[in-house]
Amino acid sequence: MSDLRHRAASLSPGFVPTAVLSILPVAAVLGIAMLAQLWLAPVLANAGADFFIKMGVDILVAMVLAISLTMVNGFTGQFSIGHAAFMAVGAYTAACIVYYGSYRFYGNANVQGGLVSSMVYGVRDVPWFAWADALFLGALLAGGLVAAGCGYLVGLPSLRLKGDYLAIVTLGFGEIVRVLVQSQTTEVLAEGASVTPDHLRMIPAWGSTLAVDDYITAEAIASAPVWVWPKYVGGALGFGGLPFYTSPFWVVLVAGLTLLVAFRIKSSSYGRAFLSIREDEIASEAMGVNVTAYKVRAFVVAAFFAGIAGGLFAHTVGVQLNPAELGFQKSFDIIIMVVLGGLGSISGAAIAAVIVTILPELLRTPDLLAASWPYGLGGVVLGAGLIGVLRSGGRSTTLGRAVLFAGLLVAGLGLLALWAKGSEVDLGRYRMVFFALALIAMMILRPQGLLGVGEIWDRSFWADLVARRSKGGVS
Amino acid sequence: MSERRAILEVVGVNKSFGGLKAVQDFNLTIREGDLQGLIGPNGAGKTTCFNLLTGVYTPDTGEVRVSGHRVEGARPWRIARLGVARTFQNIRLFGALSVLDNARLGCHLRVGHSFAGMVLRSVLHRSEERAIRDRAMDLLGVLGLADRAHEEAKSLPYGDQRKLEIARALATEPRVLLLDEPAAGMNPQEKVELRGLIHRIRERFKVAILLIEHDMGVVMNLCEHITVLNFGQTIAAGSPGVVQNDPRVIEAYLGTE
Amino acid sequence: MLEKFLQTLMDGLAVGSLYALIALGYTMVYGILKFINFAHSDIFVLGAWLSYSMAIMAGLSMQSAVPVAPWIFAALGAVTVLAAVMQAWDRAGYDRVPAAWRGRLPTPGLGGTLTIVSLWGWSSVGLAFAARMIATGAAESSAWRTVAGGVILLAAMSTCGLIGFCVERTAYKPLRKAPRLNVLITAIGVSLLLQNLGQLDWMFGTRPQGMPRLLPDVTLAQFAGSETVPPVKLHLIDVVGAGTAVVLMVALDILVFRTKLGRAMRAVSYNDRNAALMGIPVDKVISFTFVLGAALAAAAGFLYAQKYPGLGQTASATWVLLGLKAFIAAVVGGIGNIRGAMLGGLLIGSAEMFARAYQSPSVADIYVFGILIVVLLFKPTGILGTNAQEKV
Repeated sequence: MSDLRHRAASLSPGFVPTAVLSILPVAAVLGIAMLAQLWLAPVLANAGADFFIKMGVDILVAMVLAISLTMVNGFTGQFSIGHAAFMAVGAYTAACIVYYGSYRFYGNANVQGGLVSSMVYGVRDVPWFAWADALFLGALLAGGLVAAGCGYLVGLPSLRLKGDYLAIVTLGFGEIVRVLVQSQTTEVLAEGASVTPDHLRMIPAWGSTLAVDDYITAEAIASAPVWVWPKYVGGALGFGGLPFYTSPFWVVLVAGLTLLVAFRIKSSSYGRAFLSIREDEIASEAMGVNVTAYKVRAFVVAAFFAGIAGGLFAHTVGVQLNPAELGFQKSFDIIIMVVLGGLGSISGAAIAAVIVTILPELLRTPDLLAASWPYGLGGVVLGAGLIGVLRSGGRSTTLGRAVLFAGLLVAGLGLLALWAKGSEVDLGRYRMVFFALALIAMMILRPQGLLGVGEIWDRSFWADLVARRSKGGVS
Repeated sequence: MSERRAILEVVGVNKSFGGLKAVQDFNLTIREGDLQGLIGPNGAGKTTCFNLLTGVYTPDTGEVRVSGHRVEGARPWRIARLGVARTFQNIRLFGALSVLDNARLGCHLRVGHSFAGMVLRSVLHRSEERAIRDRAMDLLGVLGLADRAHEEAKSLPYGDQRKLEIARALATEPRVLLLDEPAAGMNPQEKVELRGLIHRIRERFKVAILLIEHDMGVVMNLCEHITVLNFGQTIAAGSPGVVQNDPRVIEAYLGTE
Repeated sequence: MLEKFLQTLMDGLAVGSLYALIALGYTMVYGILKFINFAHSDIFVLGAWLSYSMAIMAGLSMQSAVPVAPWIFAALGAVTVLAAVMQAWDRAGYDRVPAAWRGRLPTPGLGGTLTIVSLWGWSSVGLAFAARMIATGAAESSAWRTVAGGVILLAAMSTCGLIGFCVERTAYKPLRKAPRLNVLITAIGVSLLLQNLGQLDWMFGTRPQGMPRLLPDVTLAQFAGSETVPPVKLHLIDVVGAGTAVVLMVALDILVFRTKLGRAMRAVSYNDRNAALMGIPVDKVISFTFVLGAALAAAAGFLYAQKYPGLGQTASATWVLLGLKAFIAAVVGGIGNIRGAMLGGLLIGSAEMFARAYQSPSVADIYVFGILIVVLLFKPTGILGTNAQEKV
């Protein structure tokens, strides 16, 4: 028996306090999710700010994706550029289950959920949690699990492949998923009709009596055996008609749990093992870390959460699930978040997800942005002041510089929007140009990203912010 | 006195890269409590031997046994779990991690809780995390790094980085510790301290030590048994006195007249 | 059946030679800097779109000739003025300022680079104008159209070469010593930048356009075939396309394996630090490699636009997929290996065409990616690649 086990046995905490500590955060997340659904969302909806609810849902889904990719790209340092594929796998799995499940159980594909997935706020005559919510939850989990299975398959090549080559395989996997979905039949919609149960096709499972080309009806879905899987997923035209289950409750719940799991991984011995692989694979293996297994594990966990995010995405209001949207452009979006936030930083990825989701919206509606430049100037003054006050030994502090920079950025963007409004330039079109420039500038000027590997909940992070900057390095 | 148990046994190991015979017919036995040295001129195959022992390379022929288990062709992490820990000639710390985290990582292979247990924060997880921290701090204390525990590993001075590598290796609870040129880049004062440190480690952690060293002074004063390599071949093995006077060793180091 | 096979094979080789041209750029950059230049395929797209713009400017389409966008002259003029200022600064200014200020001022050395950039830019514009003069001189003659096309090809290669040069100097050079991941992300950034810049209204816009034919649509030869089976046709465009590609590849092969410059490139690829110690100007060699790769990609873009005249917007998935296939060709052949890129290009092109002809167009990509994954799993360094092991 090792020394570690001896010590652990003598230090063992009681079961009760551990159970409390283990469950309390989960309960807190659940509580916040309920609060968001039952208090915040109705307040916003009543104030006519539906836009913010939609925005919040988008942000939180992006956050789940960014945090999950952080586990692969940030923790283990494996470079995956096909993350959207896991999202697509989860999205299509969940969509099939919810859509065809709804037909099977309810005869139509409308939202049948309770309060937790209600997007009509203030209605009280439905139960808190209906069976349809269980269907949605199950679909999310199934999507996550199928995506995790794909993550296992994609993680396996990391047995042999390193760095760039692994990146290529993940890219190839992502494209294969996209092309596979895209090459599915679109015949039903091509006839000009919307998808109706009359047009559903099913792949006959082994031993079933249905022929491939049988068009079957809602009744047929309800009476078909469970293992008969529908073939029609919309192909290149997208999977339309999905019920919108993705309410503030679900996204807050999933985002909170993702954050919690990512935090627990990073702050544990397993998390250090992940990070050690990123730092030096050979040394890590020499210290007894089964590098291959850990890489695969990172892929599996990340794919699981990406799959759930995909399920949420598929059932978001106004989203038509479309394979073209889940190609490598989407993967690159997620990578941008992870890199801007700082490779390896959970909170960084979360913050970057907020920025990357909000900024395009701001650029599209320049009024808000144009009004922000005075605040930017305020930030500049504050930053300059902070540099002056916190300055020690002739060097400025990171906090002062960060505030100054953020102020300059906001002021610059605000003035730009002001000019764009005057000369009727559509800044929304420049969105990706800005991101691309920001990405390049970030890599050259601050390659470790906003937060590096630090986290906003680390004490050392705040200490570094106000500490004197050492020469040459950045915090 | 009864024969001490053999921890690491190497019998007739050969390794070649293309046409280059890097190591030929290498034999070595390390028993509990041993302090052995492996020396030889540049390019003699010393580090290759370490890589063969720790699973980085697979021997072409021959046997490597750790506590009786055959390990040729086993992955390095498996060999590490059997109780072989090493340091690296060109330091390989986890630079962006803190000094404490480097040491804590070494403990990872002994944890008993599962990944799921970690995510759910099980009782075992909590107690083991505490034990890991305790152990890591103890080790940093032994190597004099405790007050730098929260600095980034890459910001440490060179000598401290070498010490941290030793701490990290010790954290794996090894039965035999392989040190690859621990004195490289140290000044004479530090070398004297290193000698003391190696003795202390052996006493305190009951670990056998095999060290590669360039510096004859360090090896001759420290080791009880020395193996000399030249061009991949073992040209001498025995106590420092024997090796020092072996004509072939003198020839390898000083050349023929 | 033989007809179908031969036709498919020919199509495959025609497309494959274009893939090979693009793959060369990927492989050369990987060979030298050990990173995947994701922006390379966008240079290819720019090559196609620039050819289109120049052809329109020269009045080679049905539309009347359009003037060159004034911002190009403005930008080139600005660069020229800046170059002159920096030249003066390098030669006279820097030495005259007090030594204490110098740390905050730009060090000399930028003047030469800027001068090259401005001269290069002007000569590209000049080539485009030459194409216009040729085209207006002999509007109806198809032979002169082809000559104008040749000049446009050169102009596009020159412009893309310049873009490659600027990209390397501004985005990649500051990261020469950075971790490879950072460079990879920068490359993705440059790729996104080029794609989305190209889509702006004052660049190429978001509407698809039709490339005017600069080569007569002639069938050189046709053989086999019967009343029921269409004959195998050998189109001029395929021959010219594959021919240009082969000529460029042979020239490149001679350049890399038979000249002093090529030896320098191989030396830098083998070990850049040692190459620098041997007196090889590493930065110049790297820049040259980028320029060469970009020029080849531009040529591929021109030829592609001739074969498939419908040009989609620069960020469209079709382009990205084409670039990916070329990249896959480089990987399958053995990235870093020039002959491997050629082999890989032909292999991927044929595989794609055969899958298209014998199964369905939509699954062709799956075969391509499938080949990639199989090759990577069984020979990770590609068919002609060599293995390198990390030293412990």
